[in-house]
Amino acid sequence: MDVRAQVSMVFHLDKCIGCHTCSVACKNIWTDRKGAEYMWWNNVETKPGTGYPTLWEDQEKYKGGWERQNGDLRLKLQNRAGGLANLFHNPHLPTIDDYYEPWTYRYGDLFTAPEGDDQPTARPISMIDGEPVDIEAGPNWDDDLSGSPIYAKNDPNFESITDEERRQLFELERLVFFYLPRICNHCVNPGCVAACPAGAIYKRGEDGIVLTSQEKCRAWRMCISGCPYKKVYFNWATGKSEKCILCYPRLETGQAPACFHSCVGRIRYLGVLLYDAERIEAAAKVTDAQLVEAQRAMILDPFDADVRAGARANGIPDAMLDAAQKSPVYRFVKTYQLALPLHAEFRTLPMLFYVPPLLPVVGARENGAYRVAADFFSSLESARVPIRYMAKLFAAGNEAEVIAVYRRLIAVRAYKRAEAVGDIAPEAISEALAEAGITPDEAEAIYHLTSMATFDERFVIPPLAREVNIEATLDPFTHKPHAGFGFNQSLDRE
Amino acid sequence: MGRRDLPSLADAVDAADVILHLAPETNGEVAYRAFKAEEAKVGLPLADLAERTRGTRYTYSDLLQQPRRLLTSPCWSGIVNDGRAYAAYCLNTERLVPWRTLTGRQHFYLDHEGYIAFGEHLPTFKPKPDPYAIGEFVKSRADGDSIMLNYLTPHGKWNIHSTYYDNHRMLTLSRGLHPLWMNDADAEQIGVKDNDWVEVYNDHGVVVTRANVSARVPRGIGILYHATERTISVPRSPLRGNRRAGGHNSVTRTRLKPVLMVGGYGQFTYAFNYWGPTGVNRDTYVLVRRLDKPDW
Repeated sequence: MDVRAQVSMVFHLDKCIGCHTCSVACKNIWTDRKGAEYMWWNNVETKPGTGYPTLWEDQEKYKGGWERQNGDLRLKLQNRAGGLANLFHNPHLPTIDDYYEPWTYRYGDLFTAPEGDDQPTARPISMIDGEPVDIEAGPNWDDDLSGSPIYAKNDPNFESITDEERRQLFELERLVFFYLPRICNHCVNPGCVAACPAGAIYKRGEDGIVLTSQEKCRAWRMCISGCPYKKVYFNWATGKSEKCILCYPRLETGQAPACFHSCVGRIRYLGVLLYDAERIEAAAKVTDAQLVEAQRAMILDPFDADVRAGARANGIPDAMLDAAQKSPVYRFVKTYQLALPLHAEFRTLPMLFYVPPLLPVVGARENGAYRVAADFFSSLESARVPIRYMAKLFAAGNEAEVIAVYRRLIAVRAYKRAEAVGDIAPEAISEALAEAGITPDEAEAIYHLTSMATFDERFVIPPLAREVNIEATLDPFTHKPHAGFGFNQSLDRE
Repeated sequence: MGRRDLPSLADAVDAADVILHLAPETNGEVAYRAFKAEEAKVGLPLADLAERTRGTRYTYSDLLQQPRRLLTSPCWSGIVNDGRAYAAYCLNTERLVPWRTLTGRQHFYLDHEGYIAFGEHLPTFKPKPDPYAIGEFVKSRADGDSIMLNYLTPHGKWNIHSTYYDNHRMLTLSRGLHPLWMNDADAEQIGVKDNDWVEVYNDHGVVVTRANVSARVPRGIGILYHATERTISVPRSPLRGNRRAGGHNSVTRTRLKPVLMVGGYGQFTYAFNYWGPTGVNRDTYVLVRRLDKPDW
């Protein structure tokens, strides 16, 4: 057993209202810079949809993540020979059109337009070349099923459902969508780290945050292809790759990352997970259907004496272990098994987990009245989104994993409804709880965790103690006149 | 002193302070007296609602320093003491202040002869009127290239009017302008693809924007969020001699139903911005046609 600690995350999708406050908070702090205009380290997508960059989930197009080959794990992008051949031209690299050409407006025209009969207008112009631009894509272009015939209908996760099911999904009465907020998953087996020829990307030992060294990056851009989630971006102005840093300067001072802190729906949870590094390779190599379970098995019990001893032997501080015991993420992922990794089949072992959204049930118009299916609380079969679609997103296609989560979520709802409204028979509640494999106490605890958790329960941030975790190579005062993300540049006055 | 000092309104700040001084929402003593007067009218104790804030006075300089909470006042119907959020009709339901109707109760049945004549003395479904019959399209006619849509201008997903939307962030997170949402089958009928430019017009005005084609919109409906500024990305309109196109409100008009102007009868007391119309000023019919290339 080789115990490691990682600051991990859960997003509870039922609570996401798609307001993009997280995206704006992140943008304002980190990527409001030249060369980073098109980057959204945090973005929110509408599902079904093609997302940002468009069709990012389609690895036939982008070749991100890992694949199994003869029982071995290799990057989908290339082997050693292929890497050399494509070193100077990587055909799978997303272009600016796959993201979007960032734009602003010629606001000056509103003030300087010559006198005339008509009111002036501020035309959109490119933030890259300053020329007038025809806006044809954006970081949230298919919001709320915008352009559904082009985007939602071509969601790569629909490949597993039939054409008839797909047609039905876009009938007005059946239409459904939900939001998928995305940041870097800070994977345990990151494709970006493996793809980098310069060794510039690393996973921080003490908290598992994946970072790009702005000094070592040599602009090969293999990380951008290697990450199947397309969460590494290339800054065209500095010629370096950049990515979500989980707001480590905030974490190190005990604050939640900006996107977590600002979340209006309180969908985000952050806490420590302990995992066994010896099991990484095996967990990444199992069959698709086993991936979720293998990753869950890799996560260790912070209350177990052996685990704690192993952690101490690896130099994990006690404060980190205490935080691991209080971790809401551990409860979601391991105790109640409600949260699942996004696209586990990419085999990067992402450490951001999602509670899948409860599915609206099918309704139908009969004799002029709109009716929902009668078995509102028990039936997954009458869900509007096929379970296969959810399984494709959150369980590498393993429907049983997703169904198990839904059984628990539905049982908790029924349990609380019986308590508040009293219109469900006690036998039906017992049956639902038994089927879900949870006790009434656990249902109560899940209710609290998902609905009532306070700020301090949602964000359990360990003291990161950078000073004991790294070897001090620089006098801290050396950094004093330096500021900002990117390169340490001295102030002019020095 | 011997003489009465009268406030000067010459200075704008003084004028603002006078308003704040006379309003029950910003002067606790005025609120208290207003509730005392209300007590006399309705015969129920109410002044306790203003007792504790009787000493509160807001001046213009107070408002400059930080936002302040309005005081509970009988001019409104909410109770906002102790940080409670405003909700209408709390005074009526919790403190039993009679409703401002003919009988003091809530009305379901309206026995006014005007309502009876229009057959609306009980809530009544009435189908959409034929736009031609009511003279909506005298000069603009539908042709093969256009489609008539029921035009709705609701609040947007992120914005209330122009607030929070007409900025770089939110325009980037949407489509860079204020698109017309329309159904995919409707769009196909007039040869419009997602993000194509369209002219949206009727006798009143014209909007030039892009189409947001989505199965989410019911057939026959076009949605343009209100009420945005007309400064961002507004091309010219070929239909209007290449003049600058209008905003979402250019094609709407107010057409009051006669029953909305019934007055002098209990709650039917028409006053501007007090007895507001229903959504008639927000919805209308428009024609939509494809525009090849916008002219700026």
